[in-house]
Amino acid sequence: MQFRLEKRQEPSRFMLYATPVAAVVLTMVLGAIIFSLIGFDGLGAVREIFLTPLINPLKWQDLAVKASPLIIIAVGLSIGYRANVWNIGAEGQYIVGGLAGTGVALATWEMTGWWLLPLMIIAGIAGGMAYAAVPALLRVKFKVNEILTTLMLTYVSVQLLNYLVLGPWINPTGYGQAQTRLFNADQTLPYIIPGTIVQLGTPIALLVALVAWVLMSKSMFGFQIRVVGLAPHAARYGGFSEGKTIWLALLVGGGLAGLAGVLEVAGPFGRMVPSFPTNYGFTAIIVAFLGRLNPLGIVVAGIVLAITFVGGQVAQTTIGLPFPAVGLFQAMMLFLLLAGDILVRYRLRRVVPLAVAEDVA
Amino acid sequence: MVDTCDPTAETSRTMAEKMIGTGLKDIVRGEGRQMGNAKFVVSNLSTRKLGHFDVAVEGVSFSVRAGEILGIAGVAGNGQNALLDALSGEVEAHAATAIVLDGQPLGQLGTTARRKHGLCAVPEERNGHAAVGDFSLAENTILTARDRMSMVVMGLINSGAARTYTGKVITEFAVKALGPASLAGSLSGGNLQKYIMGREILQRPSVLVVSQPTWGVDAGAAAAIHQALVDLAAEGSAIVVISQDLDELLVLCDTMAVINSGRLSASKPVGTVTVDEIGLLMGGVHGDKTAEGAHAVPA
Repeated sequence: MQFRLEKRQEPSRFMLYATPVAAVVLTMVLGAIIFSLIGFDGLGAVREIFLTPLINPLKWQDLAVKASPLIIIAVGLSIGYRANVWNIGAEGQYIVGGLAGTGVALATWEMTGWWLLPLMIIAGIAGGMAYAAVPALLRVKFKVNEILTTLMLTYVSVQLLNYLVLGPWINPTGYGQAQTRLFNADQTLPYIIPGTIVQLGTPIALLVALVAWVLMSKSMFGFQIRVVGLAPHAARYGGFSEGKTIWLALLVGGGLAGLAGVLEVAGPFGRMVPSFPTNYGFTAIIVAFLGRLNPLGIVVAGIVLAITFVGGQVAQTTIGLPFPAVGLFQAMMLFLLLAGDILVRYRLRRVVPLAVAEDVA
Repeated sequence: MVDTCDPTAETSRTMAEKMIGTGLKDIVRGEGRQMGNAKFVVSNLSTRKLGHFDVAVEGVSFSVRAGEILGIAGVAGNGQNALLDALSGEVEAHAATAIVLDGQPLGQLGTTARRKHGLCAVPEERNGHAAVGDFSLAENTILTARDRMSMVVMGLINSGAARTYTGKVITEFAVKALGPASLAGSLSGGNLQKYIMGREILQRPSVLVVSQPTWGVDAGAAAAIHQALVDLAAEGSAIVVISQDLDELLVLCDTMAVINSGRLSASKPVGTVTVDEIGLLMGGVHGDKTAEGAHAVPA
């Protein structure tokens, strides 16, 4: 029996939505098999990682906290990816955004007022944008590949973070511990649901996704991004500059990553610490693709990835699964998703002697 | 539908009629049309060579009157694409006055601004240049018709307006497509070309520049596109047709010029020019003796 891939006349809308679901389900199946083979309770691991956070209402607030930065960063990345701008250094822009917000917080440490938090947020967005402006300039002026520059700048930002929290920004009353002062009450995100750990970052994430959805599907901004990504020559004919679009894509991606950074440091962290980089910027790449580069899909995908984070912690305590196993599940998900993508544009046909092929997909 | 015939007894026209199953319509042109004043004036237009195999245009000058169709003949690869990019605005001219429409210098404006002034263009390559294959026809309409047909209000797309206009293009140009939501890439080449030509012509531009308007289109559709161009000219637009198809140009155009190695010959009324003369110009042999050899590079 032979199979053959056949190009579809139009991309399948069914497959567009079915393959992300299939990728998650297959990840669970393969994950159960792999962890059973290496001596863990495979089924238990999958149950703890994927189901417990959903079933247990006490874990929902953790999901909101984890999903919010992932959604904000992934929305920004998806806009770039639509324009064929491959920013994979959101982690660095997230760190610099957090640092910019911290800088404002430390400079205004003795002040109070409602305006402190908005100022920190603006600084965070500007910090992320500035950090993404470097790859944008290099790409537009000198045609330097942004995949390399954005990634490498991430490592630079980690060094900058370590230098600042160990040096100039170290807490003067902290007995030499590498961290900044704790932000004051006006510099910290308010809790929005009493009795939970859900802060202002969560509604901001949903708002960002909604605004991005409107912009991408209904505005000339979204049209420009998509046409430059799909057909640069046609974009020029339509009057859209590729250079400007690259700038826009990187600034939006960097700005949103910076926003996520400042919301984290002013939210769950409450101060800048060396353990601030938590790979949200890299995980958001998976979120962006799992959400089909659609801001509303990204909200769902952000929750799915948050489930694996929260579930990973559960599995660590209940069945002794090492936390890096979560990374394995996440990577498998991205891999299966990208592999499944081919079914959107192609169909799998069984080659039977004497025609009458049938859909196997 | 199968028919048999003796090729020696048929003309190319009767063969084409058999292929499309109906009689070919003759192009109806208003006899004794009044040409207006010079409407679209290009003077000393040059472009830079972009790539190694690119042919730039050098010192191109011509003028088209209102109601006139100017044909530009030439062997492929003699600067036709560079000329179209320079006229459409994808590549800006060195001087604003190199391209003038109704007294307005457009040379240093981009494609969007030129369209607003009434200059529309259709490049030769359909997929990925004149249209985006992965976009629906309605989205492809937004690509070039958004300003002249008011499809954008404060940065937001009025998709209803885009669908309505696309529907009009599909009906008036008999495009075989399921509707405005069909992907451009799912259309046959000929139907996509009819859609693209319709999209520009129905915007009623003051100047329309088209390259290979009927490339790969069946004879019936080609006749419909030709008629639409003639009708547009009759309304007072100036039209420039760049084509490698001499028959097409001779049927369609009022005046003709030839492009060779990026240089354009003087334009002459179609009635006074012979096919032999055009053929020599296309080969790079320029008629007047004084200029001969000065810059003519044999192709």
